Amino acid sequence: MNGATDERTLKLEGLAKRFDGKQPVVVFEDLSLEVRAGEFFSIVGPSGCGKSTLLQVVAGLIPASGGRVLLGGRDVTGEPAHMVYLFQQYAKSLLPWMTAEDNVIFAFNHRLGLGPRAARARAREHLAMVGLEESAAAYPWQLSGGMQQRVAIARALSADPKVLLMDEPFSSVDALTRMELHALISELWERKRFTTILVTHDVDEAIFLADRIALLTRRPARIAELIETGLARPRRAVETHEDPRFLALRHALLEGLLHRPDEANADVR
Amino acid sequence: MLVVALLLVWEGSVRFGIVQSPNWPAFSAVLAALYRGLAGGELLGVIASSMWRMLRGYLLGSAAGITIGVAIALWRPVRLTLTPAIELLRPVPVTAIVPPLIFVFGIDDKLKIACIAFATFFPVATNTIAGVGAVDEVYLKVARTFGIPHAQTIRQVIVPAALPYIFAGLRTSLAFALVVTVISEMLAGSQGIGHYLLTMQYALRAPEMYASIVLLTFVAYALNRLFLAWEQHAIGWARSREAYDAR
Repeated sequence: MNGATDERTLKLEGLAKRFDGKQPVVVFEDLSLEVRAGEFFSIVGPSGCGKSTLLQVVAGLIPASGGRVLLGGRDVTGEPAHMVYLFQQYAKSLLPWMTAEDNVIFAFNHRLGLGPRAARARAREHLAMVGLEESAAAYPWQLSGGMQQRVAIARALSADPKVLLMDEPFSSVDALTRMELHALISELWERKRFTTILVTHDVDEAIFLADRIALLTRRPARIAELIETGLARPRRAVETHEDPRFLALRHALLEGLLHRPDEANADVR
Repeated sequence: MLVVALLLVWEGSVRFGIVQSPNWPAFSAVLAALYRGLAGGELLGVIASSMWRMLRGYLLGSAAGITIGVAIALWRPVRLTLTPAIELLRPVPVTAIVPPLIFVFGIDDKLKIACIAFATFFPVATNTIAGVGAVDEVYLKVARTFGIPHAQTIRQVIVPAALPYIFAGLRTSLAFALVVTVISEMLAGSQGIGHYLLTMQYALRAPEMYASIVLLTFVAYALNRLFLAWEQHAIGWARSREAYDAR
């Protein structure tokens, strides 16, 4: 594999983010990481460690204080055309004045410039991928939380991203819906192979979905461990969770999160 | 019911001779005058010309209010340039600018349309600024992550998100616009319902005078209903969403 030259390879080089002010905060400093082309990469860390900030810096939604982000070996500036950020607050990220279908069209048609009929067809196709072609004409607020996040996923994928950045996208749905969404995103990823970074505090979710996992420390965040999951694909909701390898990873990651000496005060914030 | 009762009291006060004055016609006489005016076409023409004037002024003022409001909210140089001027002009009573404006626009349509637009502008602009300021950060980030061009973001994200505020302004302005239409017609020129009303008063034709007031009442009521239908069409999603979320 010539991963280094693939245009889906995502590289962070010495990335830094500081918030200046009366009490300057160093969120992370000199963070370097290479996410391979088409890899599913998870980032886990204690809450408040800056995972979400990191992801937004990569997405170009907040400016970095230093370092670079490279996609396919090229510097990424501003809001990169080929990266899509999937928001945690699906209820707020879908535009409530547009139907599900129009929300999807909104994401791609400024680039593709399709006529109304073709745009509609493409939107329906992507809604069908998440099992929602029936709800094309519904407004987001008429749909359940899980369905809203499905629309958001369809919308993100309709933009044909090379990189999908997911910020705890499944944290506000119930446990069963979450497992369904895991299966869905896993399946879509296997089909399309966009490079993916998932930020989460849910260790099970990180292991279930990822090829590799980075465990972040508290602020200033650095990578404490980089773990290859090595679990067989396709992953299965029941079997994968019972795989001894899954359990071992889970054990190691939870130990890392809970018993890391520099995290003794993790809850005092 | 209350309305009907009051109208009956009005009618009775004349029928039973409680109030005897040429300036206090029976309600039935007013209705008769209204019918004569509408059927004869005179009153119809007068109100139509007023509405046409009002519509033009209202649309002009609203369009300017939304455009300038968005510009002020989004671009700092525009904000710094225009805000002091707007703050100075806003409290000026529109009636006070009629005499000087006569020199500029004459006494006919242009003057009145300018006055109506002036009155319409401020509530719309102020609410637009507030609405654009209140647009959720997440919507803007969504537009950015998909690389939506700026103009499209304004059209498809910022303005729709601000619409509930904008409509609050448009509604306030609608009432202002009607008031200013009638007043400006009373102050200058020889057209429209305001002028007609005043003429009937000078001519001591009380039934016709009250008839035009009754007609104005109906028109104002109808305008409000039309506005509500328009609002439901445009921002029905906001209402329905609230109702949904409150389940």
